[in-house]
Amino acid sequence: MTYAPRAKHESTVSRQSTRMPDHNFRYWIIAPSVFLLLLIGLFPLIYSLVVSFQQITMTDYDTSFAGLDNYLHLFEDARLWQSIAHTLVITVIALPLELLFGLAMAHLFLEKMPGRQIFISLIVLPTVISPVVAGATWRLLFDQRYGPINQVISWLAGHEVVLLWNITPHLVYPAILICEIWQWTPFMFLILLAALSNVDKSLTEAAELDGAGFWRIFFKIVLPAIWPVMAIAILIRGVDLFKIFDVIWALTSGGPGTMTETVSIYTYVQGFQQFETSYTAAIAFLIVGLMSMVVIWAIRRMGLAK
Amino acid sequence: MNLVKRLGLSAVGALIAATAVSAAWAESAAERAVKEAQKYKGQTITIVWEAGLQSLDPLNFSGPLWEKLTGMKVKVIEVQTAEMFTKIMQEYRAGTGAYDALNVMPSWMPDLANAGALEPLDAYVDKYGYKDEFQKIAPIYRDNWAKANGKIYGLPDDGDVFIMYFRKDIFEDQKVKDAFKAKAGRDLTVPKTWKEFGETGAALTEILKPQNVYGAAFFRQPPYTMFMFQERFRNEGGKFFDGGSMKATINSDIGIKVLTDMRNENKFMPPGVEQWGFVENLAAFMAGQTAMTISWPPYGRWAAGYGTDDKALNWVPKSTVGGKVGYALPPGGHPELAAGFDLSIASTSKNKDAAYLFIQWLNSEDISLQRVKLPTTLRDPFRDSHYTDAGYLALWPDAKDYLKTLKDASLAGIFDLSILQTDKYEEVLRQAISKLWAGEDPKAILDGAAAEWDNITKKIGVDKQKAVYTDWASKSGAYPK
Repeated sequence: MTYAPRAKHESTVSRQSTRMPDHNFRYWIIAPSVFLLLLIGLFPLIYSLVVSFQQITMTDYDTSFAGLDNYLHLFEDARLWQSIAHTLVITVIALPLELLFGLAMAHLFLEKMPGRQIFISLIVLPTVISPVVAGATWRLLFDQRYGPINQVISWLAGHEVVLLWNITPHLVYPAILICEIWQWTPFMFLILLAALSNVDKSLTEAAELDGAGFWRIFFKIVLPAIWPVMAIAILIRGVDLFKIFDVIWALTSGGPGTMTETVSIYTYVQGFQQFETSYTAAIAFLIVGLMSMVVIWAIRRMGLAK
Repeated sequence: MNLVKRLGLSAVGALIAATAVSAAWAESAAERAVKEAQKYKGQTITIVWEAGLQSLDPLNFSGPLWEKLTGMKVKVIEVQTAEMFTKIMQEYRAGTGAYDALNVMPSWMPDLANAGALEPLDAYVDKYGYKDEFQKIAPIYRDNWAKANGKIYGLPDDGDVFIMYFRKDIFEDQKVKDAFKAKAGRDLTVPKTWKEFGETGAALTEILKPQNVYGAAFFRQPPYTMFMFQERFRNEGGKFFDGGSMKATINSDIGIKVLTDMRNENKFMPPGVEQWGFVENLAAFMAGQTAMTISWPPYGRWAAGYGTDDKALNWVPKSTVGGKVGYALPPGGHPELAAGFDLSIASTSKNKDAAYLFIQWLNSEDISLQRVKLPTTLRDPFRDSHYTDAGYLALWPDAKDYLKTLKDASLAGIFDLSILQTDKYEEVLRQAISKLWAGEDPKAILDGAAAEWDNITKKIGVDKQKAVYTDWASKSGAYPK
């Protein structure tokens, strides 16, 4: 009498344990991690959004609701739009040059040659340097008194040449671009070298046998083959260039005046020098919005979503 | 008899009391601070100090000495100058009480005091008997740097002021004097006005260029030149604002003249001077490549070779001009008390008395004298007694002239614009200087800067800013008298 019910109970337990658990159970298992990630990831974003609708400055107690004032002020703020224009100028010039130089160098190093590994390691070195250190180094290189660049130019010219690279309006952008391209071309080079190495050689060789020229092979075979990787590299560098700060801060601090002030520098100045906390949050959301649109457009346009 | 007895007892009592009081008053402010601070033995106070050389004072000298005397530990938080205001405000907003004592630039005082970040010190000054020694701080610092809204918020602790350094050997060289007279039609003298400075600098460059020596050079990077503009603008009679409407008046003819003169002066200075900062200018002067320059007091000490053998100063170029340097007030005669530091207490400190006692001790006559003589820590004389101290006067042969010039500067100096959100106004000036070096038109630059100043004032509130500006302008060192 006592045995039978026990056996029944055991068989029920056995059936339950072999059955699939409750479908919601897996969600409960991952819920704490998801909650934590959302807390870490989304809370600052939501908090910043709330702050952008207040009028918080570091020097005042007033934290009252400002409505859309900060966002409306964005449209009147000429310095902000100038800084976005400066950022775009740098991006539009630096990105294609980095891509072209990187691609050319990758082609050069595609073939086996003596010391190839050593050269590649040396070429890649600038990318591992902190951008602010790179900027400070180039500032010293461009220095009128101590920098070798002006000394070499003077030596070539046969008389003392005074070029104030971080002050003279027509020299500041070239100085920034030289530094930026020097540091990040190797990044493009490395990625494109990897992509080019994976291009099916049988296709290029067959095309060569059929009489196709270099450019034809490049555009019809090589470029389509490396495009997915190249598109990712362009996207990464494009986003990086839009956020450019350290190099310019070290070289010109956004000067002369605000001539080389990028949107990141302007945001920093507003937030940490002018202490306009709420307005800075509004700028940040404007940038997030603009960047999101550009990135989504680029992903679609480049076919990366496929 | 009883009356006589009582009178006699009263007299003895009064004598004992008088002796006790005089003994108490014979105690210096430093001794009093130490005695009181011994009650807090074992506690730690945290002080914010400018990173780098400045911090060597509390790290290597005053901090360990205070611990030895009182048993209290001092934790030094080193912060870059550009970050100090932000860190102090952030900590105040967070209210954690992480900082007890602070180094504060006087131009930040209105913002920090109005926000409530600083503890008023009047009660502590009275409680710990610091009034007399506080009064002996050179008037220019005491009357201009210590107070906001009529209350003491900081103990002026660093005699930062611009001084002109010139090469005595060049100014006394007969050949140079003759050549100068032939060119300028007058005797060679250390310039007292900016007009004379322009003439002298240009002529000396022409005369000395074959020896690779220039008439003058300054640090021209915008953060430094911003202070020099403030000084020159006011020396020439300029006012920052219209006191009634609070409209910016930096774009007056005086402002335009100052900017124009500054740019013209670069022509007789070394090529690329627009890029020069503190170190580049120091290096050129120490190497004997410039006949005149203007800078803070450490230049004078280092040019004489004082302390430059110390490991911490191994970056300072070796002086080739020791014994050849003369000291004078900059042209105009009212030098800028540029930057500077006060010692303050954070209103959120949980250890205010202990922190105050530490800063009173640092700032006291006895201890401050030792601190301003530390060769490495950049604290400059700021007390009447510092200028006349026999030990300081003997530090190098020309130290007496150096200290006399610093004392003269302490009588005639003018202090930085210190109003609400000063840094916003200063940032506009820094950009104006940067545009000037880029070749833009001085009038256009200053018209733009004035418009930006007006916008800042409008945003802060004209009446609110006017009250603070009026208070600032009423101080003895706001405008040359």
